[in-house]
Amino acid sequence: MAFVPGSAAPDIDEIRKCVHCGICLPQCPTYRVLGEEMDSPRGRIYLMRAAAEGRVGLTETFQRHIDLCLGCRACETACPSGVRFGSLLEATRAQLRRSRSPARRRLLEAFVFSVFPEPVRLGLVLAAFKLYKRSGLRALGRASGALRRLPSLAAMEALLDDVPAAIPMPEVVPACGRLAGRVGLLTGCVQRHLYPHVNRDTARLLSLAGFEVVIPRGQGCCGALELHAGRPEAHAARARALAPAFPADLDFIVTNAAGCGAAMKEYGHRIPELAPFAGRVRDVTEVLAGADLRLGPLDLTVTYHDACHLVHGQRVRHEPRQLLGRIPGLRLVELGDSELCCGSAGVYNLLEPEMARELLDEKLARIAETGARVVAAANPGCLLQIAWGCRERGLDVAIVHPVELLARAADAYQD
Amino acid sequence: MPLSGPFLQELERIVGASGLVRTLEGRLVYECDMHTFYKGAPDAVALPTRTEEVVEIVNLCRRERVPIVPRGSGTGLIGGAMAPVGGVMIGTNRMDAILEIDLPNRCATVQPGLINLSLTQAVASRGYFFAPDPSSQMVSSIGGNVATNAGGPHCLKYGITANHILGLELVTGAGELVRLGGTAVDRPGYDLLGAAVGSEGTFGIVTAVTVRLLHAAEAVKTILASFTAIEDASEAVSAIIAAGIVPAALEMLDELMIRAINEGTGAGYPKDAAAVLLIELDGPAAEVEAQGERAARICWERGALEVRVAADAAERALLWKGRKEAAGAVGRLAPTYLLQDAVVPRSKLPAIMRELIAIGARHRVQIANVFHAGDGNLHPLILYDDREPDQLARAKAANEELLRACIEMGGTVTGEHGVGLDKAKNLPLQYGEADLNFMYRLRRAFDPDSIMNPGKLLPSHPACGEGFRPARPRVPDGAWI
Amino acid sequence: MSVAGSSIGEAFVSIAGRDRVRDDFEALAAATVDGLRPRWVVRPASIEQLSRVLALACDGRLGVIPRGAGSSLELGNPPARVDVVLELAELDQVIEYNPDDLTITVQAGISAGALASLLAPRRQWLALDPPGIAARTVGGIVATNASGPRRMRYGASRDLLLGVRFVQADGVVTWGGSKVVKSVSGYDVPKLMVGALGTLGVLAEVTLRLHPLPEAERSWLVLFENARAAQVLVERVLDSPLQPSRLELFNERALRLVSAEYGGVGVAVSIGSVAEAVREQGERLTVIAGSSAGRLVALSEAFWSQAESAMAPPQGATVLHVATLSDRLAGTIGAVEDAFRTVAPRADVRLSGCAALGTLRVLVSDAGVGETAAVTTRLRALVGEVGGSVVVARGSVELRRSIDPWGPVEPCAFALMRSLRDEFDPGRVLNPGRYVGGL
Repeated sequence: MAFVPGSAAPDIDEIRKCVHCGICLPQCPTYRVLGEEMDSPRGRIYLMRAAAEGRVGLTETFQRHIDLCLGCRACETACPSGVRFGSLLEATRAQLRRSRSPARRRLLEAFVFSVFPEPVRLGLVLAAFKLYKRSGLRALGRASGALRRLPSLAAMEALLDDVPAAIPMPEVVPACGRLAGRVGLLTGCVQRHLYPHVNRDTARLLSLAGFEVVIPRGQGCCGALELHAGRPEAHAARARALAPAFPADLDFIVTNAAGCGAAMKEYGHRIPELAPFAGRVRDVTEVLAGADLRLGPLDLTVTYHDACHLVHGQRVRHEPRQLLGRIPGLRLVELGDSELCCGSAGVYNLLEPEMARELLDEKLARIAETGARVVAAANPGCLLQIAWGCRERGLDVAIVHPVELLARAADAYQD
Repeated sequence: MPLSGPFLQELERIVGASGLVRTLEGRLVYECDMHTFYKGAPDAVALPTRTEEVVEIVNLCRRERVPIVPRGSGTGLIGGAMAPVGGVMIGTNRMDAILEIDLPNRCATVQPGLINLSLTQAVASRGYFFAPDPSSQMVSSIGGNVATNAGGPHCLKYGITANHILGLELVTGAGELVRLGGTAVDRPGYDLLGAAVGSEGTFGIVTAVTVRLLHAAEAVKTILASFTAIEDASEAVSAIIAAGIVPAALEMLDELMIRAINEGTGAGYPKDAAAVLLIELDGPAAEVEAQGERAARICWERGALEVRVAADAAERALLWKGRKEAAGAVGRLAPTYLLQDAVVPRSKLPAIMRELIAIGARHRVQIANVFHAGDGNLHPLILYDDREPDQLARAKAANEELLRACIEMGGTVTGEHGVGLDKAKNLPLQYGEADLNFMYRLRRAFDPDSIMNPGKLLPSHPACGEGFRPARPRVPDGAWI
Repeated sequence: MSVAGSSIGEAFVSIAGRDRVRDDFEALAAATVDGLRPRWVVRPASIEQLSRVLALACDGRLGVIPRGAGSSLELGNPPARVDVVLELAELDQVIEYNPDDLTITVQAGISAGALASLLAPRRQWLALDPPGIAARTVGGIVATNASGPRRMRYGASRDLLLGVRFVQADGVVTWGGSKVVKSVSGYDVPKLMVGALGTLGVLAEVTLRLHPLPEAERSWLVLFENARAAQVLVERVLDSPLQPSRLELFNERALRLVSAEYGGVGVAVSIGSVAEAVREQGERLTVIAGSSAGRLVALSEAFWSQAESAMAPPQGATVLHVATLSDRLAGTIGAVEDAFRTVAPRADVRLSGCAALGTLRVLVSDAGVGETAAVTTRLRALVGEVGGSVVVARGSVELRRSIDPWGPVEPCAFALMRSLRDEFDPGRVLNPGRYVGGL
């Protein structure tokens, strides 16, 4: 067996649940782009099995095929046998981290993971970035070609068009009208700094829907990025720190970032004592879908992109569409291949910019086909990625979180 | 058989570096299709995008006597797309373009790697569909469907793949690009097209397929009838057919299968039923209405526990989703299974179901059943755990016994999956020496050097594919001088 | 080793019995094929006899013409040799009829009429309806791939033949396919036998898929000024949810023979289903016909037999089978009529066509050999553009000598056909020279 035995090794019984039917293939973004079995879910599971049986080692080629996976979990939605590919991937990545990791990628990962999951540090870096853009250093940096030599940093530079001003949030937002319940709000890392208004709108809508919203200060990161990168210990530490930050008597812990929500809903898989907490995690659209919201008209044509970790990770497909459909005047057009990953995939677009680019191009083409002027997506990574692509392509399309549209519609009603 | 450096260089020149898989890890994942029991990694995998590349590869392999194994999406159930003796695997999945849609003549020409369902999706908005619908249709390629002459639930009414293929472009084992059939019917000469469909890549590699498209039916009605005994359900099947009703599909699931599917997709099949019949009727609304009522009445008369009619497209899709994913859902019951594809005359269904239960009991194996009851095509899944050698042996014994029982009832060893490596050894149950000999010689006309998909479709023979001469009838003594 | 003529005759007798082997002048004259008189007419009573007869013929390098009802002997090239005419009409046993399975196994010499009478009480039928079907043998229909109007709904022989027992040129009895409605075990040998004119083996026994007879069927005729207008109706019907079982075009000459009231170009439509659906689809057809500016006439079942009589070839007539594309049918009808008008103005040209499949049956009387040949060549160029074909399905020896009755076959495909023929009948025992490219 090529894996180091122990709790972090991929679960062989889970691997064996794969009956090799291949139904996952057409749903896998990397298989669609490359058309190679080893870059498909079925192929990757087969490689994991071969490694578990000692038929292949954890070679560079092996790692390449695992690295290239976006972790979008579209294969899980497709799988009739219920193979939990996400957890197999996480475990395999953890194994690979122990045994090998190419130098260039390691450095980059080290940087990414020293910044992203730390809300405070991310804030500092982004503040520096803001300065950098305003100072004109950006033009210099581009001209010097320094960024070109570091394609991943170039990708990040491109993604961050502008960094908005922070929006201070109160610790408690009272409910409007009859009290429907008490919920906590996860403000997230990227969301907090890049899309603070999404958090603000989320809190406001929840309040309008009758929820008292508790927003604990000092809440940390959910650890999703680390889990996906094969750092289960770091992930567990964050999970253990995050859960107690929320009062135990809340009805739900609400997130508006699909990646965070998916990871938090699965805390119990790895850390049994967090199962009750995990059981209370909801995406904001799940909570709002059942709530009484008064929405005014918006004269917009909107298309909806399914964030992977919402549709595949949490199986939330219907609620966002239902909510948008409730806005009078809003025309919701279906996006072709809406469940196909946009290439963002957490920090994947920084680590694997070429593949990410291919998928983004595909996504943009489908968006252009809809004729919609607004794309809604419920995850900050998708928002960043698609917005960047539209800017580059000169597509006149606004990229928003569904709660932004709902908040505007709620405003329209009050008017 | 490792390939030589110059051979690989030439292969790379043809398909480019990105079209050639040479790594150990890459070749390994191509060692089997859905029938993981049979493994054989190719020495290289070529992923061409154009017909010309395929012609060049076949000629290169022919020159060097390197075996070729064609592969579509790798969803076959017979060990067809694996390389028992190595060689070059040609994956057609990157050749997935729709070349032409000709609705006035109700046909389309596509590359072989196109996914079956993608074609229907491309023409659905204009009211057409591609009829063959193997349960793998969301992933299996049309080239693969052609190779195995795939069936599917709806072939009861619409026929199997062969009935829907109008033309093929084929690179034969001799490296010749030949066009068989086409949009216009009735070309003079032998129906080589008919023989090539279902030839499992032993004649050559298909590089383009012209298919017939059908106009979508005006109305569809899906009825789900559950029974407390599988024999009641079997009798209902016979009664429906005897009443002159030809449903688009007539599927049966047994208790074990119902459980696995319900756990998998939440299809909402009745939990307490011992058998479920899924009856789909399509056609003109008035016909569907009248026949639907009659079919439902027949089910009640045979003691149905419940008869449900899908209220809308979503409910219908859910009932079918469960059925289509049955083989995958079995992963929830046991880690491994042997899937059988034998056929019995439809009227023998009750008898074979009794026999199946007896066989399962005799060999102490669980058998889950999901099958195309309308045409008597059984898909018993004999469950076992491959970590227990004893279980595998018992499963195999049950499997053999079951096949023989089907043949004794006048059936066939494979209804729609094909022969591949898996059932090649079983063909002699059904065919005599003369019959097999005819097939060996037919194969040689297309593949004179025996490089195409060796070991598949026909049992290996002492003469190594040279064929053999069966005994001829006696000529009267007096005729000789 | 050689085999002497007289002893071959005796050997045939020893196989089949004296009354099954004829070599008298009368019998031989009656069995003449394209002017060639056979040396023997052998009428085997069993597959075993058939097998031994062929083994002997093969050793003696004789040319054998298998014959069912004898209705298609003017199909193909005049044979290179005719030594034995093999009459198969006595191989007419029903081996196994399984009404519940909708399958039947019969010997190939059974007449389609006899088969139909057997199936009718169970309200089942073999869904083939080529012209003159009742008298034809099932084996002959399969070997010549004969079909009729209902092919659009039920398919042709290739879609209905499940299994086949045939005797190869060397006498080896061979089975291909299966006896159940669905099988993919081994190559689809039955399809190879369809339309092969017995050149890969003489059909001895066939297992066929049957269909239930529809509960009700009604037919209508829609009349138009010209073929182009008729084509519009055809396209509208085919692009609608209507499910016709027949959609047959007739030209004016054919229609007038059915009734003096009819003129122009007619499209005869049949719909078979449950009574309610037939009525309802008939109403929709009326609407479509109205919007296509066609005159709709309700038909009685007699129309189809009258039409068949109108299209039945009189002595000396030529029948061409034209295959083109469905959407080119009107143009092709125009081209056929124009070609004859120009080349053979006095010819009597009757046309019927399976509109959904793009096939036409052209019945020509009163045209010279050269004229018909010229038109055939012209049509081949036209339909060749879309891969279509023109086959002389019936015609004089002279016509079939002056022009290839089959027309061109794609060279690569032909090379494969030839290698099959070389493999299975290297001595050209079966129908020598009659098949495509003189195979």
